[in-house]
Order: sequence, then structure tokens, then C-alpha cells
Amino acid sequence: MNLINGKLYDNDAALKALDELPALILEERKKPFLPPERVIAACGRLGRELGEEHLALLTGMGIREEKARRELEFAREMLSEEYLRERLAREGVSFDEASFVPFGQKSPVRQRLLPLGTLLHIAAGNVDALPVFSVLEGLLTGNVNILKLPRDDGGLSVTILLKLMEYEPAIRGRVFVFDFPSENIDALKKTAAVADAVIVWGGDEAVTAVRRLASPDTRIIEWGHRLSFAYVSGFVTDEALSGLAYNILDTDQLYCSSCQGVFVDTEDENELPYFAERFADILEKKAEEAGFSHDLFIRAQKTLELYTDGLEAEKTGARIIKKRLVSVTVIRDSELAPSHMFGNPWVKPLPRSLVPDALIKHKGRLQTAALLCPESERAELEALLASCGLTRITDGARMSETYCGLPHDGEMPLMRYVRIVSFD
Amino acid sequence: MDIRRKLFLKRDPYSRGKDEGLFVRAVREQVKRNAAGSPEYAAILASRSFSPDELVSEEDLGRLPPLPTLFFKRNRIFSVPEKKLVVKAFSSGTKGARSEVGLDLSSLLYGIMMMFRLFSLHGVISPIPTNYIVVGYEPSKHSDMGAIKTAYGTTKFAPALHREYALRDTGTGYELNPDGVFRALMRYSRQPFPVRFVGFPAYMYFLAKSLKEKGISLKLPKRSMVLLGGGWKQFSGEEIDRGSFHKLIEETLGIKKERCLEFFSAVEHPHAYVRCPSGHFHIPSYTRVIIRDADTLEPVPEGTPGLLNFITPLVSSMPLASVLTDDIAVYGTSPCPCGNKAPYFDLLGRAGVGGIKTCAASAAEMAVKK
Repeated sequence: MNLINGKLYDNDAALKALDELPALILEERKKPFLPPERVIAACGRLGRELGEEHLALLTGMGIREEKARRELEFAREMLSEEYLRERLAREGVSFDEASFVPFGQKSPVRQRLLPLGTLLHIAAGNVDALPVFSVLEGLLTGNVNILKLPRDDGGLSVTILLKLMEYEPAIRGRVFVFDFPSENIDALKKTAAVADAVIVWGGDEAVTAVRRLASPDTRIIEWGHRLSFAYVSGFVTDEALSGLAYNILDTDQLYCSSCQGVFVDTEDENELPYFAERFADILEKKAEEAGFSHDLFIRAQKTLELYTDGLEAEKTGARIIKKRLVSVTVIRDSELAPSHMFGNPWVKPLPRSLVPDALIKHKGRLQTAALLCPESERAELEALLASCGLTRITDGARMSETYCGLPHDGEMPLMRYVRIVSFD
Repeated sequence: MDIRRKLFLKRDPYSRGKDEGLFVRAVREQVKRNAAGSPEYAAILASRSFSPDELVSEEDLGRLPPLPTLFFKRNRIFSVPEKKLVVKAFSSGTKGARSEVGLDLSSLLYGIMMMFRLFSLHGVISPIPTNYIVVGYEPSKHSDMGAIKTAYGTTKFAPALHREYALRDTGTGYELNPDGVFRALMRYSRQPFPVRFVGFPAYMYFLAKSLKEKGISLKLPKRSMVLLGGGWKQFSGEEIDRGSFHKLIEETLGIKKERCLEFFSAVEHPHAYVRCPSGHFHIPSYTRVIIRDADTLEPVPEGTPGLLNFITPLVSSMPLASVLTDDIAVYGTSPCPCGNKAPYFDLLGRAGVGGIKTCAASAAEMAVKK
């Protein structure tokens, strides 16, 4: 489904309409930008209307009911007027003018934020209604937005955006949605050509493709894939490990912020199997309690991967602790790597003296570390991990939980969608 | 005498007749040969406490530790010196992980003989000169994908007058060749020789669809055929049901559904399975199929979905006797309306994450932003 000026278009008609896009956007840009308060009001109304009947939308996407309820509740909160106002404030986005006398000068100057202009959003995957949230960030910062839908969006993005347009008709001219496939480079180039910035979410392939097609006058804002892990030092309680297990099971290890595995602060490899056995028991118990399950196709893939690891174990020295629902694999190297996901973390040795050696090389890839250690060690290890490039250090259970004003990969996203103009 | 000769020269590919343990004996010999030639394979069998001598009856085949296609993607493993490999092929894997398969002369010869028998039965082998449209890649020096070799090999089953490729070699890569295909097709349609379409179902679909959009309806010579192999995976959003697909082909090319054959094959399992009009892949007497539980990998009973495991004694150069694919399938023996009495399997899909949860193809690509 495609959306132009609030009207739905089929794919062929939308591709034809692409040629009109520069003119349509120019018309819109002649108008003053849409103040955040009007977007906030529309979002607030949308949030209040989210109810039981929307639960099926989430469970239909394969999300467990308990999680779907939590996500819906969270969406309601995130769309509320209070939350959005607080978020703008925390991220430092205010369109009010500020004036000051610059150092060494006598006359005051004025500065104010203004929208970047036009943003092209390229969002991979439909999980968590990501495409819509990306567009919302663009609207909150006063921009005109073009959204290239991910494959299999299933109509969710357009449904939500139509609602917003109903509540705030001015949004109709400020959000364009296109549904052409990513292989249509010509169409992608046309949309990128009218954008001041391209915002790309996704893996290396998506990011590389955008870098190739955007011209040098177009800014590229990348939210690429990241890796997260847990760092365990000294004795940790079952409760702390249980929190980590919660993150692994609740996110299926699919998010950038999900725990892929556990680094243990030890130089004695023999400690690892004990820890892994203990953690596997906790993970399995938690999985049973949570009713952790996946369809046949995912289970079959995980079984194949673990079985193949087992066949290679003679060579690799890996030790696989396979439980009924989950597994933990002890690997001797200290490389940060994605896990098999879906409840299958790794455990590796990483003495604190070697933390920089293992992490600094993963520049641009590091996100969250869950730090599990005695209180007396916390400050030292926090500083160590932060200095290596991590952008969030928290406990196991909170790894993928967000809060209002949480920086994203070390940045305030809304600030990237505005520019500072000086009047002097 | 090589026991494979007796098995692979059988006249009727689908009749198991009086097997008298021939298949199991052939597998046992092959596994012994593979283990003797590959210490790594021998170590794997030993680590699973398996001895080839345990293979006595057909029921024992399930105990032979299977090697997953994923294993071949991550490991090169041969049981003869590499100089003895006369043909090599690679799977078309993503992210650089590809299986490398090599056949020695005896495996290749038995394989050709077996294919000859099987394809004769299905009317694929013909002495009549034929024009080809390859709805796939042109062979080239810069690519060694198994799919390219298979498609090219398929154009040898009837003498080729001309071959036109939907994906043409540019010397360094490939480019789509819709105009060339269209011109060739128009030329072929004016000649008395049969036309064969060989390659991927998705490309065949796009070709037929574009003919339909152009309002073209040809009546190709009556011995013309469509021979397809490989999945729809690149274009899963476009997948249509087989009925509509066959109707489209008949409308645009004049080829009836009985002349459209769909094959299933894998680089790691050099055999071909032909889909019957009822949609089943019947299992020739040269191979066996075991379906394994998605969690435990234990064999499951008929009708239960699980991972598709092929058994064959064909290959002496690599431990390919028991290969576990990442396809999900069910096994069936109930009488098939097509008349073929051999047991069969039905494909249900591929192990992994379905498109609805993520767009990304590989696991590492799956981490979504949060």
C-alpha cells in the first residue's frame, strides 16, 4: 500500500507518482513546518485509542500474549502527550529561539533549531512497528517524511499513519509512503534525491546499499545493527542470572540490545563449564515458566545449528549444554559474535585485562552490556566497558527495556533530525 | 564388482523389486570407504559410537549419523585425494557460506547412468534437436554455482540447436536479458523443433507473466517441455499456486501441464526427484528418505513433519551417504493418484525464520533495532 497526500495508491500508480514527488514536497516545504504540539496531540489521541482490540494485531505477528500486552501498554505510554513532551525536552529539542552575546563580541546573536527538511526513512523489518516510530520522530522534529516500507509490512504502518492523518489533517502532506521493493534502485534514488537525509535502519547490506545510492549532498543517518552481551565477574546471584535469562527469552536474542552471550572475567577456562551448567539450568527453568516455544521451522533450524556445532566440537573444542528448550555453548575464544539466538547464548572467557583487546576492534558495533558483578567492583568495570565503546551499561533484566530520554546508540536521535540556524 | 553397479543400473528407477538388502549393503560399503578415506568422518562416526557394521537392515539407516548441509557449508571434507575429483560444484549459499562438493569418476559415472534411467522414464531424454531457453544463469568462468551446472547439464538431454539465457554473462557478472529471450522465443516459435525451458520456477513465472501482459499466446511444437528446479525463495512474495502457474504456461506457450516437470535436488545430494501431478516427490530406488524430529533428530513416523534426510550410496569421494537438509518435509506411502507406487515426500518449507517476523535472510542480519 502506498500513501500520497493522504490517499491510497496501488504500486503501479505510486511508481508513476514518484515523478511528481519533488513538486509535491516543494509545495509542502513552502508552508511553515508543523509544530510538534500538533503532532503530539494526534499521537496522544492515537495512544488513548489503543485497546484490547489491537492485541490481536500483535499476537497475529507471532508475539506471545503476555508480551503483546506489555508492548501495547508501552506503546500507549510512548504515544502519550506527557511522554513525548518529556522526550523532546530530554533530547534537547526546542524550537524556541535563544539569544546570547558571543565570546569577545558586543552584539547578541540568535540561534534556533529548525527541521532538517525532508527525511527518507528506510526501515528494515516490521517488528515493533519500527517504520511508524521512525516517521513519528521525523514528524516530531517538523520534517516532511518519505517512508519506504519494508517487505512484508502487512499494512500496519499505513493503517497507523492514516489514523494520525485523520486526527491531524496537516500530516497528510507531510508523510508519503511507498511500497516498492528494495531492488528497485531507480525508485529508491528518486526518493533519496528529494531528501535532505536518509535514515536507514538495518544490517550492513541495507546500510551499504544506501551509501551507494545517496548522492553526496544527502546526509545519511544510520541506525545499523549492534551487538550486546553480559559481563560477569566474581560471584553473581541466581536472581541476577535470572534477569539475564529474562532478556534472552523475552527478546529471543533478536534485538541489538539483546544479550548474545556471557563473557566471564576469568583466566581459568575450567571455571566456564560450571558457570555454563548453572546458567543453563536457570535459563531452562525460566523458559519453562514463561512457556517459551517456537514454531517447527525455527526449532528445526536451531537443532541443525547445534547439531552441526556438536559435529565440529572435536575440532573447535566447543561444549554444548543442550536442554529441552534452550542451550548454552561454552566456546574457548574471546570473540564477540552473534549467538544462534532464540534461547541459545554462548559463554566465553574474557579476563578484565583483555577487555579492550576483545572489544575496541568492534567499533560501531557495540551497544549494551549487562554488568553482573559485586558492588565493590562495579565502578571500575563500568568505566572499563564504557571506555571500550559500549553505549549502555545496565543489569540483565533491563538490557532491552527503555526509558524516556534513553540515548540511542550513544546519540539523541531527535537532535540528528534538526539543524541549528544562526541569525546574526 | 562395485555394488553400486547393480543398484544404479536398475531398469525401473521407482521399483524397489527384490532389493534383498542391496541398498543397505551399498550404503554400508560406501560409509566404510568414506570413513577409511577421511579421518575426520571416521572421528565423527566414532564420537557418535557408530560402526558401519551396524547397518544390516533398512531400519538401521536411521542410526547412521547424518551430516547437515550446514556442515558442508562450514567444512571441506573429502574421502579421496582432491586430484581424483573430476567435477566440483558449489551451492548457491548466501553470505559466502557455500558447500563444496566434488565427485570422483566412479560417482559421476554412476550418477549419469542413474539420471539417464530416471530422465528417460520421464521423457526428458530425447534425440530430437531442441531449442533452449535457460531461465537462469549462463555458465561462465567466474561462477561455479551448482545450479548453473545443473541447468546447463539439463540442456544436454536433447541435442541443443541454440541456447538463450535469461541471465547473460557479462564477463564479470550477470545481466538480465529479457529482449534476447523474447527475440529467441519468437524465432523458435517459427521453427519446427521443440523448445525446452530450463531453470528456476520464479524466472519461468516472470517470463510467462510478461508474455501474458504483452498479449502473446504461442503454440510451441508439441514435444516442447518446461524443466524447473530450485526454489521460489528469491520471489516468495510472488509465489502462485501450481494450478495457476501451469494454466499461465499453457496459455502463453501452449505447453500442457504434463510436459512441465519440477525437480528437487541439492548440491550435497546429487540426485533428482520429480514432482508428480499430485505434487509429491516420489523416491527412486537409488535413495531413501528419513524425516527427523525438529528437536531430537530422531526419525519420525509417516505423516509427521520434520527435517528431510537423504540416504544414498552414490558418492565415494565424500561422506554424502546421509545428508540432512534444512528442508521441512513429510513422508508418505499412501497410494498416489499419479499411479507411481514408490513412497514420496512433500516439501513444507525451509527451516528458519519466516518472512513475517523479519525481512532479513540470515541470522546475523536478524537483530532488529531496539
